[in-house]
Amino acid sequence: MTMEFLNLKVPMALGGAHGKAPAGSTEGAGNRGRRIEQIALAVALIAIVAALPSLNIGYRFLSIAITTGYTAIALYGLGLQFGQAGIMSVGHAAMLGVGAYTAAMLSNHLGVGFWAALPASIVFAAIAGGLVGLPSLRVSGQHYIIITFCCCALLVICLTNGGKLTGAATGLDVGSIPRVFGINFDKLFNYYYLVLAALVITLGLVYAIVNSSYGRTLRSIRENEQLARAIGINVDLHKIGVFMASGAFAGLAGILQVYYLRHISPTLYGAFPSLYLALMVMLGGGRLIYGPLIGAIIVNFLPEVMDLNPVDSRIAYGVALLVVILLLPGGVSSGLLAIYRWICGRLFGRVSKAGS
Amino acid sequence: MEILIQQLVNSLSVASVTILIGMGITLIFGLAGIVNFAHGEFLMIGGIATWFFVGMGLNFFVALLLAMVVVGALGFVAERCLFRFTLDRPMNGFIMSIGLSVILQHVVVRVFDEFQKSTPDPLGAVWVVGDVHIIAMRAVVVVITAIVVAITYFGITRSRYGLALRASVADQATAELMGIPVRRYVTGVFVYGSILAGLGGALMIGLFPITPFVGSVVITRGFVVSLMGGLGNVNGAVLAGLVLGLVDGLSAGYGYPEWTDAYSLVLMIVILVVRPQGLLGGTLGPKAS
Amino acid sequence: MAALEINGLSKAFGGVIALGGVDLSIPDDRITGIVGPNGSGKTTLFNVITGVYPPTGGSITWHGEDISGRAPHQIARKGLVRTFQQAMSFPGLSVKENIQIALERGSRQLRGQAPRWHTPEDLLDFVGLGGRGGDDAGSMPFGNLRRLGVAVALAANPVLLLLDEPAAGLSDGEANMLADLIMKLPEMGIGVCLIDHHMTFMTALCQRLIVLDFGTKIADGTTQSVLTDPKVMEVYLGGEL
Repeated sequence: MTMEFLNLKVPMALGGAHGKAPAGSTEGAGNRGRRIEQIALAVALIAIVAALPSLNIGYRFLSIAITTGYTAIALYGLGLQFGQAGIMSVGHAAMLGVGAYTAAMLSNHLGVGFWAALPASIVFAAIAGGLVGLPSLRVSGQHYIIITFCCCALLVICLTNGGKLTGAATGLDVGSIPRVFGINFDKLFNYYYLVLAALVITLGLVYAIVNSSYGRTLRSIRENEQLARAIGINVDLHKIGVFMASGAFAGLAGILQVYYLRHISPTLYGAFPSLYLALMVMLGGGRLIYGPLIGAIIVNFLPEVMDLNPVDSRIAYGVALLVVILLLPGGVSSGLLAIYRWICGRLFGRVSKAGS
Repeated sequence: MEILIQQLVNSLSVASVTILIGMGITLIFGLAGIVNFAHGEFLMIGGIATWFFVGMGLNFFVALLLAMVVVGALGFVAERCLFRFTLDRPMNGFIMSIGLSVILQHVVVRVFDEFQKSTPDPLGAVWVVGDVHIIAMRAVVVVITAIVVAITYFGITRSRYGLALRASVADQATAELMGIPVRRYVTGVFVYGSILAGLGGALMIGLFPITPFVGSVVITRGFVVSLMGGLGNVNGAVLAGLVLGLVDGLSAGYGYPEWTDAYSLVLMIVILVVRPQGLLGGTLGPKAS
Repeated sequence: MAALEINGLSKAFGGVIALGGVDLSIPDDRITGIVGPNGSGKTTLFNVITGVYPPTGGSITWHGEDISGRAPHQIARKGLVRTFQQAMSFPGLSVKENIQIALERGSRQLRGQAPRWHTPEDLLDFVGLGGRGGDDAGSMPFGNLRRLGVAVALAANPVLLLLDEPAAGLSDGEANMLADLIMKLPEMGIGVCLIDHHMTFMTALCQRLIVLDFGTKIADGTTQSVLTDPKVMEVYLGGEL
């Protein structure tokens, strides 16, 4: 088996989420062949996903797909923060909450609709992300994770005690998205395409960030903060930057969520949703480009496919998380990549060796 | 005056449970270097196990001992099968403990149900001292906690075991060279902390009803207490537990009760940022990260 | 006046005085060595110069500008780049990506010069790691890791390179190869200041030696004069000299 195929390294000896496992497909400057292959894969995936509604798959499936879509958008933010910069958060639902509540409050109190609220949700969630990121300049590791948890719990308390402004424990309602070019977003199909478009944009942005020099800078901070500073990288600035980017994606996810559900309440953004976001990103893998998406698909579709009730499916997620951390710290995506690489190595081993 | 004393005993009994959970976290985080997010669920299981054994017709205090054994065994299994493998990557251990907490909650929901459970008052007595009426169970909770605190304190500060333990926190490699079985000590601390959580849960259900989701509330308080007191610092945890109990009592009585939890969360964030080793001094955890 | 002027620099950790008023001048056109027994304050000196710790007292002037108390990345951007004894590379990334990160950073710190190395491969060839670009930096043998550390620092385009015990843990052969590499730097316009207690390594490399003991300078001069200094003999009493 060749390790050089596609100019990627297989995470064979997986050391851990913070481990020395080679990072995988999103990292390193790719050669042209690899890039073309990745784009082809992405286009094929998007085409399949875009064609799904025409296959008469039913509303239930479609609504799960929408949930998966906006969850994945939020997970991509968390993936940047955790997979690239190496800082985990167990309070990420709070960022979604900021985005969702920004939109809902604008709609309820100022009559601002979806399209005008969209940038506001993204900006406010980015600011919230930056604020929650501030302590990370002083505090690291487990201590910082506890802080993210506290911040999330604090937000829920504020939302619950916000009176009329936040709708308190009952939450807020929003109307429907105004038509654009005659497209009615009340139809589930159209909402599905809206979320899909947002997801594709997210994917493109994340791919660009990860493969840019900025992405490399973030990874250098993940791997050795001290050395990064010593070669002139402004670590503090980039940390806040990645938190803001992470928050911005969560804000986008949040507004898509609120206009899909039409009603939100504080419990949607508390400890449990946050833990599930962390779980999904770990499960899928934070470092590879399809990791967060795979995590979101597994967690959202598993109960449906295996016909599990909510209690059993949560037990299953928990067990899956333990298994992934102990045996496959790079997440399911790195496992799939290793299998894919193994097959490719078997098929084209000699060719790629000659090529590299 | 009578009301004040009654309230004092009541707050002390609540603070006792907080102290027990905080002490467990402070030992496991400060001395074994493991952040066990499922510690709150360990407490919940202690409570549920007590409820189960009492339901089988056992005496409350027998059930309490059995619950401690159950949670101790759970801690042993968790350490041996899970946390043992993440000692050099504490972050992974932390995330794994989140998974564990989700599993434990829902296993309990699955085996029993999600509704709150309670035991009848184990003593069913009210002591009258002068004009003061004290529910006997509450006083017993305070006394048991005091005894356990004393045992833990002397165990950590005076015994050879405690000395070796602190040595291995200070410098794991040297401690190993000196023949201290550091790994076994980590297991020991983890199991002991878990037993404290089991005891806390059992005492808690002796005072109020609990649900399978009580853990996530308790864990936050536990972190506040252990961080305020200083990681690995037993008397710090006791002091912090008492202070937190008082603050809670005061804010519930005179402040804004709906913001009670917010106070402790803000306090915790500030402590973590300003003094990550805790207010009263402690360790930053073993040098693994 | 030398490029790096240090006056009365002191650093105390609580009650422990790690540096007690050190005066140094380090030029950026040759190799300067700082030696001293363990605990003499060598690494602390580097940490204070490069902004890891703020100084307790004294001043650090770099090309006429006071840099004491600046953040590490600001100091690095002014051309004072250091290596570390332990944290030498970005372990989870490939060797090539390690260099790429630093080169991208260095290209922003060119100060009007042409870049010395255009691609990661050029620099890897220079440090003798040619063809190792695809390796995982975390699983390299120790000798290669040391050279990678030097390469990462060089990529960041230093004016004065501060090497923290570059020969520690190396075999004699590896140390010699590293010495050859370091020797080439001054003629490329990169000054070097290194600390080590590997005396044969240091005497071979440095025209000038500075000796620290208990946080103060006890000798400073040409390598020959320092080696025969009675105070230095006393410190190293029957030791490595």
